[in-house]
Amino acid sequence: MSIRFTNVTRRRALTIAATAVTVALAAAGCGDGGSAPALPGQADGQKVAQSVFDAAPVASDADIPAGSTMDMIRKRGYLNVGGSLDAPLLSQQNPVSGDIEGFDADMAKLLAKYIIGKPEVKTVTIGTQTREAMLQAKSVDAVFQTYTITPQRATQVAFAGPYLTSGLAVAVRKDETGIKGVKDLAGKTVIVGANTPAVTALPSAAPGSKQVAFATDPQAVQALLQKRGDAYVQDFTLLASNAKTNPGMKVVGDPFTTEAYGIGLTREDTQFKEFVNNWLRKIQADGTWSKVWQSTLGSVVEGGTPTPPAIGSVEGS
Amino acid sequence: MEALTGHLDELGHGLLTTVHLTVVTTIGALLLGVVVATLRVCPVPLLRGVGMVYVEVLQNLPLLALLVLFVFALPTIGITFPLFTSAAIVIAAYEGAYLAEAIRAGINTVGVGQAEAARAIGLTFSQSLRYVILPQGLRAVIQPMGNIYIALLMNTSLAAAVGVVELTQAANNVNLVEAQPIAVFTGAGLAYMLLALLIGRVTATLERRWAIVR
Repeated sequence: MSIRFTNVTRRRALTIAATAVTVALAAAGCGDGGSAPALPGQADGQKVAQSVFDAAPVASDADIPAGSTMDMIRKRGYLNVGGSLDAPLLSQQNPVSGDIEGFDADMAKLLAKYIIGKPEVKTVTIGTQTREAMLQAKSVDAVFQTYTITPQRATQVAFAGPYLTSGLAVAVRKDETGIKGVKDLAGKTVIVGANTPAVTALPSAAPGSKQVAFATDPQAVQALLQKRGDAYVQDFTLLASNAKTNPGMKVVGDPFTTEAYGIGLTREDTQFKEFVNNWLRKIQADGTWSKVWQSTLGSVVEGGTPTPPAIGSVEGS
Repeated sequence: MEALTGHLDELGHGLLTTVHLTVVTTIGALLLGVVVATLRVCPVPLLRGVGMVYVEVLQNLPLLALLVLFVFALPTIGITFPLFTSAAIVIAAYEGAYLAEAIRAGINTVGVGQAEAARAIGLTFSQSLRYVILPQGLRAVIQPMGNIYIALLMNTSLAAAVGVVELTQAANNVNLVEAQPIAVFTGAGLAYMLLALLIGRVTATLERRWAIVR
């Protein structure tokens, strides 16, 4: 009991300190799934077992023709990935070990394993504003950053996948009784994460609502608790994780959108896209995908492991 | 290009907020700057100390950290300002520290004999400041003040981090839909550049018009 109490107090103090300290990261922008500073306590139990990586498939030489992107990556010895370091459960750097943990990060490691034979990944932190430009300039091989597949984006980059689907949901303060879902948001002030799909989804999902955008997820949570808005609209898994660590807020209603996340690739390289899609089919079929989901996002979401999305099922993928 | 022309409404609102924030903070920072510079040269040691502490504290903290502290830490002690007001107060206070130093440099260009002469003919400290020292001191530092105003304009983009939808945030929002970062941010960059050039031109004109012939 006493240990638990200390933990909560420390976390509350951390929220304020961390908001100020990690603000430089925040300014650089954040992933579609929002972002948060690295809170040491949240990293517990999110690590995917080494055995999952050991058992993960490796491409045969026949799959990697000479001169292809895969061949180049294999010769280089590591995969260049664009991602975040501050998205809990998705791609968050563990401040102690320096490892990047979460669903997106582990997917990137598994792709590296498939191409190279070992999960060697170099992560470049990129903002949501620069993903298309980074891919077009070939500064990264692939983007794993809750990158929502949209037709507009598909004219700039190629999307392998979708490899994960999620949706936006509504969170409110614990004592709020008037808001039971997205339908009740008309005329309310709604907090959103800057550069998240909520910014564009909200006007049609909740006409008449007023938006306030904050740069990072912890800032948005803080703003909700400080009554700068009536509700916070964000990715469902992220909200579930927030509600778990913040007793002052709760998630109401079901997700009201479907976001399909894809792996961003260079648009012209259809060979590489096909290769990544084949890899996704393989790890979905052999259960690796489910194991990664269970040890990351599954740790905060109730109910069973979802069925992985069908490859190419979304417009733009 | 359609990425820009299709969203002129949103970008225009963002630009308007940027201009609004810049104008409000420019005035606030100028008033603060004059007051703090006066404190720093006044004969009372305690007030000089207050001025120095103000300048050192605000100049030596990153603006973004100040903004986040003001917006998220004050409500924990029960003080909550609207977001635009918060951003305006913090940016004005921050740039006021820089302006105070520029104005103090201007005051130092006025010969010490003038201050002595002003006191000799019976002007009080505040009268000599108002009628003799500041009119000359301010004219000497119009150019550096213009530079600080340009920095102020650029710094208003940090208000985006605390929920103010100014030009940078509006560009972010448009880019989220259009996924055309190069076009969108080039457009926003050009708008900032035009505003900065405007400030530069105004400063140059004022400097020419108010130049002191010595």
